[in-house]
This record gives sequence, C-alpha cells and structure tokens, in this order.
Amino acid sequence: MPDAVKAPVIKAVGVKRYYKQRGGSLLSFGRKPRMIQAVDGVDFELYEGEIFGVIGESGCGKSTLGRLLIRLEEPSEGDIYFRGESSKALMKKDPKKFHRMVQAVFQNPFDTFTPNDTIGEIMMRPLRLHGIGKSDEERRAMCEKALEDGGLKPAADFLGRFPHELSGGQLQRISILRSMLLEPLFLVADEPVSMLDVSVRAEIIHMLQDLCASRRTAIMLISHDIAVVRYVSQRVAVMYLGRIVEMGDTDTIIQNPMHPYTQALISNCSSIDPDEDKQAIEIQGEPPSPINPGPGCYFANRCFKACEKCFKSYPPMRTMKDGRVVSCHFATGDE
Amino acid sequence: MEKIKKVGVRLAGMVRSSMQLRMGLIFFALVLLVVIFAPSLAPFDPYDLGDDLLVPPGTNGHWLGTTNMGQDVLSMIIYGSRASLAIGIVSALISGVIGTLLGAFAGFYGGKVDKVVSEIINIFLMIPTFFLILIIVALFGSSMINVMLVIGLTSWPSNARMMRVQAMSIKERTFVKSAISMGETKRQVLFKYIIPNGLFPIIANTTMGVAKAILTEASLSFLGLGDPNVISWGQMIYEGKQYLATGWWMSTFAGLFIMLIVMIFYMIGDGLNFALNPKMKKI
Ligand SMILES: Nc1ncnc2c1ncn2[C@@H]1O[C@H](COP(=O)(O)OP(=O)(O)O)[C@@H](O)[C@H]1O
Ligand code: SF4
Ligand SMILES: [Mg+2]
Repeated sequence: MPDAVKAPVIKAVGVKRYYKQRGGSLLSFGRKPRMIQAVDGVDFELYEGEIFGVIGESGCGKSTLGRLLIRLEEPSEGDIYFRGESSKALMKKDPKKFHRMVQAVFQNPFDTFTPNDTIGEIMMRPLRLHGIGKSDEERRAMCEKALEDGGLKPAADFLGRFPHELSGGQLQRISILRSMLLEPLFLVADEPVSMLDVSVRAEIIHMLQDLCASRRTAIMLISHDIAVVRYVSQRVAVMYLGRIVEMGDTDTIIQNPMHPYTQALISNCSSIDPDEDKQAIEIQGEPPSPINPGPGCYFANRCFKACEKCFKSYPPMRTMKDGRVVSCHFATGDE
Repeated sequence: MEKIKKVGVRLAGMVRSSMQLRMGLIFFALVLLVVIFAPSLAPFDPYDLGDDLLVPPGTNGHWLGTTNMGQDVLSMIIYGSRASLAIGIVSALISGVIGTLLGAFAGFYGGKVDKVVSEIINIFLMIPTFFLILIIVALFGSSMINVMLVIGLTSWPSNARMMRVQAMSIKERTFVKSAISMGETKRQVLFKYIIPNGLFPIIANTTMGVAKAILTEASLSFLGLGDPNVISWGQMIYEGKQYLATGWWMSTFAGLFIMLIVMIFYMIGDGLNFALNPKMKKI
C-alpha cells in the first residue's frame, strides 16, 4: 500500500444496512417483520488515486454498499467519513456539496439518462446545478471538450442527440464523462461494463483507469467478474453475505487467497487460476439468505474446510503478515 | 429545437400507429374550426329571437328549425360548441393538473404522504360523484365557472391513481438515482424527471376526461342545473325537453352533437392509449 501514509479519502466504519423483508404472508401478521442484512458491518479505507475492487456473488450486498456510499440510502448503523468528515453531517450541512464530491456510474447505461433530454442538456445539467461555468455557452464548450477528450467525435453532433440514439458503450462513456465534469473526490462504478458488449468493455475500463490516474479520483469498482477487478484495481475486498471476508492487495489475494470463499471464487474463474492443473473447488449449495444468517461463520454450510468451531462463532478479522485482512478461523496469521 | 422535433416525431409515430387517433384528431380539427369561426358560420345570431316560432327544419333558411322563442337551432348548435368544449377542456385540465400533482407527490414521497393521499383518493372514488356535483351546484349556483370547477375538482382521482403508480415505478429507474446522485433536490427530481416521464397515460386519460366532463355538463343542464345564460348543448336539450312532441328538433340535434363530440374525444383518448401501449409500439 504505497499511499498508506496519506489520510484516506474514504473511511467506512461499521456500516450496516438492514431492510424489512418485503411481502410476508398473512400468517406472519402481527409478528415482527424479519430483517434482511444486506450490508452487515463493513469497514474499509480508500485512498486518493486508487481503484478499489469489490467482488462477490450476486446478492451479497455490493450494490447496497455502493448506494450507501453515494448516500442514495442511509446506513442503518455506522458512518462513512469523507476526508475525515462524517457523511451524515455533510449531508445535513450541504447536500449539494456532498453530491458534487461523490459521483456514481451505474450498471445500466441505457437507463441512466432521462429519455426526453438531449445529451447536451444531460451533460450541462450538473454544471448548471453546481454553478460551474458562467454561461450556457461556456458550459456547452466544457461538455464538448469532455466529449472530444473521451473519444466521442464530433462532439457537437453528440450533444444534439438523444440517449436512445446511442450505443451502450457511448452512453456509459458519457455517464463517466459527466461525473468527471464535477471533479469528484470519489466515484462508485457499480458493474459498469456488465451490460455492455464484450468488445467495448475494455475501453470503458481503460477510461476509468485513465481518469483515476490523471485526476487522482478514488474509484470503487464493483464487479462479479474477478478478471476485470484483477486487471485494474490495486486493492480488492471480497464480500460474502454483507460482510467483507478478505481484503488486501489484489495481486497478493489472487495469487494466494486465504479465505476458503475467495479460494473457491478464484478457482472457479478459469482465466485467472494461476495453477492450471488444480481442480476447481466447488461451492456446494445455495448462498444462505441474508436473513438471520446464524451465529457461526456465514460461509460455514458451503465451506469445504468447515469444522465444528465454524458453526459456533463468527471468525474475527485478523491482519496477516502481508497486510491483508481475513476473517476465517483457519487464517491465524501464524503461517 | 431538437426537442420539438423529437416530440413531433413521437406524436407522428403515434398518429400513424392508430387509425382511431387519426380519425379522432381530424374530427377534432373540424370541431375546432367550427368553434373558431362560429360567427361567420352561423346563419343567424343565436340569441336573436326571430318571428318564426318552433318551425320545423328547413323553414325560411332555418336548416335545423327554431326554438319556441324563435332562435335558430343551427346557430345555437354552432355557438353551443364553444360552451361545451370549454367546459369539457377546462374541467379536464383542472382534473389532470390536480391528479398529476397529487398522484406524483404520493407515489414519489411514499410513506405518510402516500397514505393520506391514497385515503383521499379512495374516499373520492367511493362517493357517488354525480350527486356530490348536484349538491354543490345546487348550493353554490350553476354559473359556467362553477360547473367547470366542480367537475374538475371531483374527477381528478382517476388521474391521481394513475400518476401515483407511474411515480412509484419511475422513481426506481436509474435516471432518477443518477439525478439524485448528481445533486438534484427532491422537488427538482419530481418536476423534471418523474412527472415529464410519466405524463403520457395521464394525457390519454384526460382526453377521455373531456368527453366525460361534456356528458356531466349535459346531465347537469338536463336536470336544470346548467348555466341558463350560456348557450350549451346540454342547455338546449333541457329547454327542448318539454317540446319533444311538438318540436323534436329543439333537443334532438343538440343530443346528436354531444354524442359526436364525446365519441371524438374517446377516439383520441383510446387511440393515445393504444399508441402508448409498449406491446404495440414494437410492431
Ligand atoms: N430495497 C431493498 N429492499 C429489500 N431488500 C433489498 C433491497 N435492496 C437489496 N435488497 C437485498 O439485499 C441483498 C443485497 O442486494 P444487492 O446489494 O443488490 O446485492 P449485489 O449488488 O451484490 O448483487 C439481496 O438479498 C437483496 O435482495
Ligand atoms: S471460518 Fe470456517 S466456515 Fe468460515 S470460511 Fe473459515 S473455515 Fe470456512
Ligand atoms: Mg448489484
């Protein structure tokens, strides 16, 4: 971690997000509604100019974590600090300022923009909202320059078009460019390429990488595709049922995963497995629901290493010699 | 500029996809011409009490006959189109605006706001609206303004219910999340993203609302609760009612025209609904 001496751009402390279970039958009438623990106590730090990957199966709470970071939702418990300031306090004091610091790129570029506005209106809107640029001409020029720099030429032509006239790749670029016009401190990209054509995925990832390098923006890249995360992120967190189970330098973790869940994820990803001969570790069974996951390790019922202890107590987070943190009874840090 | 072009293209597409909508719009254009050029089209002054009392159609240049007071029925029908259309459109607009705002508020804010508004909508949907209108008009008088207001203020719940559902689904769309994360306030999200994107079904419903309002006004007039100082088709039916045996033309033609205009607005509304149906759009 080269930036470890610097103060983190973002520090999440004990962040939790519970949902009341939707629906419920008539029989459950009068009973207390059950809670879904979508994000169940997450701590991490993010530094300037860093791409931080978050991986895990679908339903493990990645998107919820993303929504909490950009304050589309409030955490049920815990808080997130931006440059040391509590996001709760920031939102109370000046929500506009907060939203300018923290931007997002969403999974579905086809639905990211209101269908009735032109790209010009869509891109100029945040500038106008935050009082950037003196006149509409100046703002238009800024957008044109951003489009040109982002490889969308001729820019003037794009400004006059409507979202439905553009491809997914073009829309996702515009989404990134628009966010970057606000010069944010931090950007969440939630599965930014999963809905795009395979042929344009690399371009979009490169674009994020370039912006991160040139503007020093901290980026959280959420993905279920380990290959993407490994390719661009310096550090990675592996999530399982709302909790981080392993976190550290991407290369270290991918080369030598210590948590059985991470091991299983990586061995199932053919393009990555460093040891080609090794048999893929099968994860048996469905992921348990994030409703009352039980006292033991959440992964215990699917874990190939599970022992008695695993069903009794949740393993604590331990810091290993190489700097990573792992939460598994078998990762003691003595090895 | 691009925007006007886009709306135009979308409308053109809708008009092309629905024969009903096309016919409705053509007839509506004809009615509008009549409304605008009423003074030049009407052969007589509709308020002028002539010497020909209750003469049948075709007598002395009175194509559709005269009333018991000697007014020319055709001229009354031409001028009456103004009142009927004005009442229909104004009250449907009132109902559309109230319904859109309340429905959008309830659907977007949810929680307590939604509970309260939904309760009000349910109450309005339960009470027999026509009797409510009758009572209010009987109490506050039957001027044209009152009639417009009362119809508008009692017919918004169907629009509100529709807009509420629209708002509830649109607020989950990515472009709303992205607008919030860009720093738009709740009010800006409501007026710039939710309402414009959910409005089309309400426009279709409001068009049908015009037809319903015209019918309500006619029913009120039929019961003697219309504005007696304004010539409207409903009022003509009411006044001709007692002469049905001796001068059927006094109310029959007005009745036919009410039927016609109601059909026109149903055609437009239904055609819009058809053209908006996403399943149809793909074809
Ligand atoms: N608004 C919500 N209401 C209730 N449950 C939700 C809501 N959003 C997410 N969840 C639940 O929280 C869990 C995590 O979801 P999500 O964050 O979307 O996971 P991921 O992005 O990793 O696939 C899932 O079990 C999901 O069903
Ligand atoms: S604590 Fe036990 S069950 Fe959990 S991952 Fe480690 S070995 Fe598996
Ligand atoms: Mg997700």
